[in-house]
Amino acid sequence: MANKEAQREKIPNPIGVSVPRIDAREKVTGAAIYADDIQYGPGLLYARIKRSPHPHALIKSIDCSKAKALPGVKAVVTGDDFPGYIGLYLQDRYIFCRDRVRYVGDPVAGVAAISEEIAEQAVELINVEYEVLEPVLNPEFGAGPDAAIIHPKLGEYVVANFIFPEPGSNISNHFRIRKGDVEGAWKDCAAIVEKRYQIPHVQHVPIEPHIAVAKVDENGKVTLWGSSQSPFAQRNLIASALGKSQSDVEVIAPFVGGGFGSKAGVSMESLAVAIATRVKGRPVKLRLTREEEFYTAFVRQGLIAYFKMGCDKDGRLLAMENRFYWDGGAYTEYSVNITRAAGYSSSGPYDVPNVKADSYCVYTNHPVTGPMRGFGMPEMHSGLEQCIDDLAHEIGIDPVQFRLLNCVRTGDTIVTGMKMHPTGLSECIEKVAKAIQWGEKAPPSAPNKRRGKGIAIMWKAPAMPPNAGSSAWVEMNEDGTATVGVGGQELGQGTFTVMAQMAAGALGIPYEDVRVARPVDTDYSPYEWQTVASRLTWSMGNAVVNAAKDARRQILEMVAQSWDENPDDLDIVNGVVISYKSEEAVPLKNLVIYGLPKPNDQGWIGGPVVGRGKFMPTYVTGLDPQTGQGPRAVVHYTTGAEAVELEVDIETGKVEVIRGVAAFDVGKAINPDMVKAQVEGGFVQGLSTAFFESLILKDGVLQNPSFVDYRIATSADAPKDIQAIIVEVAQDDGPYGARGVGEHPLVPTIPAIGNAIYDAIGVRVGAPPFSAEKVYLAMVDAGIIA
Amino acid sequence: MINVHAGLPEFEYVKPGTMAEASRFLVDHVGEARLFTGGTDTFVRMRDGFWKEKYLVDVKHLQGMRTIRFDPEKGLTLGAAVNMNEVIASAEVNAHYPLLAEAAQTVASYQLRNRATIAGNICNASPAGDTLGACLVYNASLYVHGVDGLRDELLRTFFCGPGKTVLHVGDIVTELNFPIPPQGARGKYIKLGRNVISDLAIVGITVLGFPDADVPSGFRYRIALASVAPTPLVVEAAGGLLEEKAASAETIEAAAQLVMEACSPIDDVRGSARYRKLMVRNLTRRALTQVASDLAASGEAH
Repeated sequence: MANKEAQREKIPNPIGVSVPRIDAREKVTGAAIYADDIQYGPGLLYARIKRSPHPHALIKSIDCSKAKALPGVKAVVTGDDFPGYIGLYLQDRYIFCRDRVRYVGDPVAGVAAISEEIAEQAVELINVEYEVLEPVLNPEFGAGPDAAIIHPKLGEYVVANFIFPEPGSNISNHFRIRKGDVEGAWKDCAAIVEKRYQIPHVQHVPIEPHIAVAKVDENGKVTLWGSSQSPFAQRNLIASALGKSQSDVEVIAPFVGGGFGSKAGVSMESLAVAIATRVKGRPVKLRLTREEEFYTAFVRQGLIAYFKMGCDKDGRLLAMENRFYWDGGAYTEYSVNITRAAGYSSSGPYDVPNVKADSYCVYTNHPVTGPMRGFGMPEMHSGLEQCIDDLAHEIGIDPVQFRLLNCVRTGDTIVTGMKMHPTGLSECIEKVAKAIQWGEKAPPSAPNKRRGKGIAIMWKAPAMPPNAGSSAWVEMNEDGTATVGVGGQELGQGTFTVMAQMAAGALGIPYEDVRVARPVDTDYSPYEWQTVASRLTWSMGNAVVNAAKDARRQILEMVAQSWDENPDDLDIVNGVVISYKSEEAVPLKNLVIYGLPKPNDQGWIGGPVVGRGKFMPTYVTGLDPQTGQGPRAVVHYTTGAEAVELEVDIETGKVEVIRGVAAFDVGKAINPDMVKAQVEGGFVQGLSTAFFESLILKDGVLQNPSFVDYRIATSADAPKDIQAIIVEVAQDDGPYGARGVGEHPLVPTIPAIGNAIYDAIGVRVGAPPFSAEKVYLAMVDAGIIA
Repeated sequence: MINVHAGLPEFEYVKPGTMAEASRFLVDHVGEARLFTGGTDTFVRMRDGFWKEKYLVDVKHLQGMRTIRFDPEKGLTLGAAVNMNEVIASAEVNAHYPLLAEAAQTVASYQLRNRATIAGNICNASPAGDTLGACLVYNASLYVHGVDGLRDELLRTFFCGPGKTVLHVGDIVTELNFPIPPQGARGKYIKLGRNVISDLAIVGITVLGFPDADVPSGFRYRIALASVAPTPLVVEAAGGLLEEKAASAETIEAAAQLVMEACSPIDDVRGSARYRKLMVRNLTRRALTQVASDLAASGEAH
């Protein structure tokens, strides 16, 4: 039904128009307010955290007496004060460690003082005795029987019903796919490729480090201001951990200076709230230094992946057998679901009749892993898409043709047994191949350069609980403008702009007449699960459209009653209610608040108009724990392709990406320029992880906790030419057919670059980052250069 | 381990009225006071807790510290507090010492170059300093105000190890002096970083070549290396070869080989010793080829 409705519905203005961002002016001028810009008054206290210097140790004793005695210190807390567990999908964390520390940086105690300096001095006065334990530093070893157990109580943790921990081991989730008969299929394969890939941990490095300011009043009500992607999830998880009602926790979330997933769920915010419970009435500010951010904020999992894939003589994929060992770090409360997402997407965007996959989330004594843009897909596709290239070469088929032959199409039975919805993946492949002039080899720009092209494709579904919900309101103002209330967050991705466009389109008023209420405040804003999973345009967009339609219905019914007409004959165009029948017209101004007078001063009809809307997917089913099979694993997949052309300097190993081309099937681009900006940003972030980014961990200790040696791409490293191509195959339940594209552009970048490097020099460089050194030494070791 | 310092430690800011006063203050507060010009290294190290001085002695404002002066007889004088963007923008530097501007341009970012100074880069004595090679091949010297009076220090003998120089307590470098460069000199600085901009050098190669009728090849070369030894390294051996033989591809290759053999890099997070050595060879070759070609071109133009 939704599909028919979408087809019938005319796409109203300004849907599909590249209107300017609603927040551009204040951000460009510096007027936009972020959490640390807010003045919290003279009672503000500052928190610092005592952290573990060991990757794995038992806490024998904590002596806080000297810290408590320091003048200016208002509270010192430890794990003894907060016995509750916290976590999104698997409650495996205490707010402060109670018995054991599991990574370098694990919080052991917290201090609130009248200045940051005094808090820091107090932290240094806290004396913790440890019994150092053997750390687990490799996920493949960690999954085995010889590794030290990092979470002995794994079996007792509260866990979502789609996550499968293996108590007694370090495996906090084991997701299985058993589709078809993999063992039987190998004998029919004309070519088989088997490879191992590794991906290092990387971090989100938002320009604004994490910050949280918490206050607990005399009634126990908690107020939390923070740089947050997930105000409602934080409200919920913090309330549960502290044994409070959700209605007694208010999370206020001003603009976010970059999130990329690191500010989803709950992390350091719970520390600020816990400390604040001991200094009632006074706000407590905790802000991470950049070094603390590197050590203690979420990082992306490392991955060791084994791929085995085979095809017949015509190149048709027959079987895949994949094993993923995710380096989940000390706590995997959130990242267990990343390993699930990688499991249910483990075939990549391919039609493969026989698939066996095992995706293991493994505890290690490395930094805490969590969601990052792409949610497992960049890591998984990195190996998978290089392996696909190798298989194509092995069977002697061009990599683009190989992908066109095997890519998932509308109606295919995908890896989980779900039927694939309409998708434009083939179109994406064809368009990037054309744009990059696939098959044509331009000469290198200098004698010391080698030129190559590479392609990679991807798919990604929103990874979330099956029933993650959205809600919205649209409130009309006296002058006929509308204010939209949402609980999703503006992270720079442009969601407030897109929501304003959708509300304007669904109501029939100009884009300029829509405001988005902010900051997001859980006491005033409507519920939104989290700003993650590229789900807002689709899910929150549906809620906003429904709310705008609800307001529109209220307005039309009121005017129809006044004009004695049928609401179906009325419309709202450019802020004016018109009748196609009587050709009457009345502007929205005033009537949306004061209503309309009855004839002859005989009273009024109508009243203030507030539309409300919600959206929640109701059709996602569970999957069989043994086979990973079920009718509908996910809401949908966004698909796409990227291609790059690059040059390798054979005297240095330096790689220059000359141009990048990307095409994604976004269903419907609500704001095409912003889609292109997301594609460019994702491509550059992908490029950054391909060439530069890596957390260098030695015996569990981070060696590069600052930008001196954790390098990220700058604009000077990005190609001058990034072409974004929009493909639109409508999503049946998307607002105006839209689906998300926030994460997807960085998913295929590493393998596209890896494949292009191979095309240029004929060597696989190994694990990213593909630094100049790795590329150069790979060429030396392969005997290409001396 | 984990740096929990949110800000700078407390320190006292001292602004002496004269060089002598500054020098005396440093002597009177040994181990507690540190000179400060740009602060681009100082503040970072203080925040990191590596430097714990109680006093920062600012000498930027003292006479001559911000002077750029070119004398056609004596050469270039750069006050020790002249920042890198001023060097890059200087017409005299670009006309007579272009290699200095070229090297300064590769340091950090524009914003940092507004504070960073070449004298600071030198006194910091990091083997990775980008401008040190240019100063070395231009035969720079330092004018030092010490407690016992004024003296010149040759840059070639200035560095003792990472972060270590011949300076004594109370010494203040007030000027860098560059003699008139050899007639017809051409130079090249090649920095290999991880990123295109704003990185520290994995290796840095500085080459200055100039005509000299007294040597068989007709040209002399000076070569300095960054990030491949405990101090910035001047490699004499290759220069000798290039004085003997014309800079053919083979000679350049042999010279580059000599330069590679002369360096002793270490493994660190920025690069392995193996890679660094190979890059010294390849990029010395590249720099020499470029400079030789520029010298040949300028010879033809005459």
